[in-house]
Amino acid sequence: MNQRKKSLQLRHVDAGSCNACEQELTALLSKDLDIQHYGIDVVASPRHADALVVTGPVTDTMQPALKKVWDAVPKPRQLIAVGDCAAGCGVFQNAYASHGGVESALKKPDLTIRGCPPDPAKILDMLREMMQN
Amino acid sequence: MNEATQAEEIRDNWIQDNISRKNAGDVLLALTGYRDNQIKTHWLSADGKMKAVTTTCVDAQFASLSPSMPEVAWDEREIHDLFGYQPVGHPDLRPLVRTPRWPDTFFPLQKRSDDFAQWNDVEPDNPAKVVEGEGITIMKVGPTHAGIIESGHFVFSIIGENILHLDAHLFQNHRGVEKALESLPIQEAKPLISRICGADTVSHQYNFLSAMENLAGRRVPESVEWQRIILLESERILSHLNDLAQIPAGVGFTVAHQRGLAMKESWQKGLAAIFGHRFLFDAMYQEKMMASKKEQLQQLLVSLETMWMKWRKLVSRQQGFHDRMHGVGVVKREDAEQLGAVGVALRATGVSVDMRTIMPLYRHNRIHIPQVTGGDVEARFQVRLQEVEHSFALIRNALEHLQGKNQEASWRIPDDLTGEVVSYSESPHGLNVHVVQMKNGVIERYHVRSGAYRNWPVLALAVAGNAVADFPLINKSFELCYSCADR
Repeated sequence: MNQRKKSLQLRHVDAGSCNACEQELTALLSKDLDIQHYGIDVVASPRHADALVVTGPVTDTMQPALKKVWDAVPKPRQLIAVGDCAAGCGVFQNAYASHGGVESALKKPDLTIRGCPPDPAKILDMLREMMQN
Repeated sequence: MNEATQAEEIRDNWIQDNISRKNAGDVLLALTGYRDNQIKTHWLSADGKMKAVTTTCVDAQFASLSPSMPEVAWDEREIHDLFGYQPVGHPDLRPLVRTPRWPDTFFPLQKRSDDFAQWNDVEPDNPAKVVEGEGITIMKVGPTHAGIIESGHFVFSIIGENILHLDAHLFQNHRGVEKALESLPIQEAKPLISRICGADTVSHQYNFLSAMENLAGRRVPESVEWQRIILLESERILSHLNDLAQIPAGVGFTVAHQRGLAMKESWQKGLAAIFGHRFLFDAMYQEKMMASKKEQLQQLLVSLETMWMKWRKLVSRQQGFHDRMHGVGVVKREDAEQLGAVGVALRATGVSVDMRTIMPLYRHNRIHIPQVTGGDVEARFQVRLQEVEHSFALIRNALEHLQGKNQEASWRIPDDLTGEVVSYSESPHGLNVHVVQMKNGVIERYHVRSGAYRNWPVLALAVAGNAVADFPLINKSFELCYSCADR
C-alpha cells in the first residue's frame, strides 16, 4: 500500500510571501481544521518531509536557500505551491527581485493551490486529494 | 562663499534641522530618497502639522544622520543600497537590502528601467557582525525555519546560554515593491498596496487612499470615515489576537495558544462573511456595503467578546505564565525612544504615543493609551490585551454612527493626480507611513515605512542578555512582520 495515503509530512519555505499564506497554513494546525487528524503534519527538517510547500513569488535572496531545501527532501517527493504568488500569478510577479513563482524559480510544482491567500479549508482539501492520487 | 563652505553649510543645516525637530518632540515619519539626488525627512508634530527637511546629494554623497539619530541607520543603509547615495559618516554601511548576487551597477530605485542582465551566481549572504572572544560561539539561524514562519536570517553571538548580540539579516523577502509600484496606473496599484503585508493590510490601504484623497482634495463622507475606523480596528483585533495567541506558544502554554487561535479563527470567519476577505484585503476600497451589515458585525462582536472574557480569565489566573514573561526581553524606555520604536513595543515602555490621537480620522474618538511600563514580554502582552478591548469599544461607537442606509458607489481615484503627499496611520505594528509622489496619474515614487521596520533593531537590542531559549518568546512578543519591512 502506498504509505503516502496514510501520511503526508510537509516542510514549508516562505520565499517572499506577504505572510497571509503563512497565517492560513498555521490555521491548518489549529483545532478547527486539525490536519494532524488526517495524517498531515509540518515537520522541521526537509529530510523528514514528503513534500515541500512554498509560499511567495520566490525572491532572489531566497532562491538559493529554496533550492537547497528542495535538494534536501528525499525522493519520491512533491513540490507544492501555495497561493497566487507561488503559483506565478500574484501581484509581485513583475517586481525586480521576484522570480515570478515556483515554476520559473525552481521547477513545475506537482500541486498548485491558488488563492490570495487560499482558504485553509481549500488547502486541506487539495492536500488530501493529492494524498489519494 | 566658495563651494566647499557651501557644501558644509548644506551638511550642517541638514543635521541641525533634523536634530532640532527631534528635540522638539516631533515624530519622524520617514527618511526618503528620490531619483534626483534629493533626500527628505518628514516630521509630524503633536498638533498634526507636517514638516519636511531636505538635502541634496553632492557627488552622490549626503551627510549621515545616524551618528546623532540612530533610528535612521537602516533607512540610510537602504538608500545606499537602492540609490547608490552614500551617507557620509554612517557607522555601519554594510549592505542591508542588496546582496552579493546583485550586479554592482544595479541600483533599482535610481533609474526608470531595470538595466541588468542577470543576478550573480553566488550566495546571498552579507557580512555578519559578531562578537569575538574566548568562549563565544556563533549560531546562525535561517533564512529558512523549522515551522511556518516568514524568512529571516539571524546571527547570534552567544556565551554560555546567553545571547551577547543578535545581528538580524532581514530583507530575504525583498521583492522590490516600491519599484514595482512606480509607473503603475493608479487603479492597478490598489491590489498591490493591499498585499504589502498580510498583517497590516488595512493600514496600508488607508494610507494609500488618504494620500490619493489628499491630492484629489476629496472630502470623505463621515459615514465612510466611521467604516474606516471599523476596518482599522477590526484589523487591530485580528492582529493582536494572533500575537496574543502566539505568546503562550513561546512558553508551551498550549491551551491558551489553541484557544487564542480559535478566537482568531472565529473573528476571521466573521470578517470574511461581512467584508468578503479573511484578512480584509481590498476591503477599504469598497465604500458602500457597511450599513446593511451593521447588525451582523454587532453579533460577531458579542460572540467574540464572550470567548475573549473566558480567555482573559484563563491567562490571567496562570501565575506561572506571567512569571515566564516577566523581566524577559526588556526594552528600556530611553533605548526605545532613541531607536525610534513604534507601536506596542514603544507603549510597553511607558511612552504614551499612539498615532490615532493625531490622525484626523479619529477626531471624534477619545483614544485610550494603556499605561503600562516595564518594556518586557509581559508589558507587551498587557498593552495588547487593553488595546483589543479598546478596539471593541471603538467599533461599537463607530457602529452607532453608521447610518441605516447604503452609501453610494465607491469613490474612483482620478486618473490625473500630481503632487507629493505623506500619509500615516497606527497599524497593529505601530506607525505606518507612505510617502507618495505622483505625476499625471502615474506613481513616480512610493516609499513605505512600516512599523515593523522601526522595531526590528529594537528587538535585536531586547534579546541581548537573554537566554537563547527565550528568543522565540521575545520574538513572538514583538511579532514583527518581515513582509512590510522587506518589501
